[in-house]
Amino acid sequence: MTEKDLIKQLKQLKEIKPSNDWVLLTKRRILPEEPVSERSMSNVFSVFQWKLAFAPVISVFIVIGLFGFANTTVPGDFLFPFKKAAEIAQVGLSSGAEKSGVHLKLANRRLEELSSIAEVNKVRSLAPTIKEFQDNMTEAVNGLSQMDSLNLKELASETQKMEENKQKVESILGIQIGGETNKFENQLVSYLILDLEKRSLNEEDQKLLAEAREYSEAGNYNLALEKLLVLMNQSADRRSQ
Amino acid sequence: MVQISHHKQKQFEKIYDKYIGKIYRFVFLKVSSQEIAEDLTSEVFTRGWQSFQKENCDIKNPQAFLYQIARNLVIDHYRQKGQAQLVSIDNLPLIEEGPNLEERAMFKSEVSNVKAALANINDDYREIITWYYLDEFSVPEIAKILNKSEDAVRVQIHRAIQALKGEVGEV
Repeated sequence: MTEKDLIKQLKQLKEIKPSNDWVLLTKRRILPEEPVSERSMSNVFSVFQWKLAFAPVISVFIVIGLFGFANTTVPGDFLFPFKKAAEIAQVGLSSGAEKSGVHLKLANRRLEELSSIAEVNKVRSLAPTIKEFQDNMTEAVNGLSQMDSLNLKELASETQKMEENKQKVESILGIQIGGETNKFENQLVSYLILDLEKRSLNEEDQKLLAEAREYSEAGNYNLALEKLLVLMNQSADRRSQ
Repeated sequence: MVQISHHKQKQFEKIYDKYIGKIYRFVFLKVSSQEIAEDLTSEVFTRGWQSFQKENCDIKNPQAFLYQIARNLVIDHYRQKGQAQLVSIDNLPLIEEGPNLEERAMFKSEVSNVKAALANINDDYREIITWYYLDEFSVPEIAKILNKSEDAVRVQIHRAIQALKGEVGEV
């Protein structure tokens, strides 16, 4: 007999197997099935563990969802604190030179909210929204001193938009919403005039600047701002040509 | 704690399913009796499970661990009985056989011859042949079970098959 034949015959011994019944019975005797309560408890625990594993992801989705829903809220609403938190973060992430502009944008947002509040007659939201607007304007004034000349033009545009919104809201509500808008506009116009005085201006620009100065001295900051914006836009157009 | 125990049981169930047939055959080829092979194999897994449950137990090679228990149990069995290790040629609990009488007779004859020859060779050779040709363990796996070098195992496989060849010629 060759070695190959021997190995072939040897491999037939693989047919030596225990009976299936004995294998199962022995397994159950050595490793009894767990009691149902214990198994269900462990299943509950494993499901809990599975949930725990996804908890961070689920939390992120929940937070994103909350902030998404909160975006349409107005002061006084249940989810408004989430929107407020996002706005605080936005202010926190902005540089000193940008802070005033961010607060001004937020004040503008409050004015837009006031318009929608007036439309749906949501009286209870009026007072907190006006307060939020006033707070944002105060912060915008505080941040003005840190503004640089690059941001002044953008700030002037936003201020004009804010003034339009404010007038619209005041006419709808029939009340003066106050805030430090006048102080803000006064300071902004002063900064802009000072900034423009340092530049070389043509005759037409100088005329516009003089008009702006006059309006400012008369306390009509909105018109002064309008003249200054025209001046800055013309100047920008000339530079781009 | 319940979770750890449940996890360990699941692990050992997998080990049981994987090795029950191999350990049974290994024991059967040593004791020749289906009843004794079943008792000893059952005891192998009972002891294995007891060790496996221990908190500080870290079984890195369950295969080597189970075969070691099986070897010791067979030695104890023969020690207690005061018997020599003899294998009966006729006691063959084969589950699957050929489709007709002639084939079955031929199959049983061939298997009986090789089984008888296997029973007559050195116990170490029988073990190594079982592991290498029946369980199809690799040389490194056998080396781990026997705690020997791979070269030593290769030499032993060669000697074992030569010994078996000699026995088959004599049967």
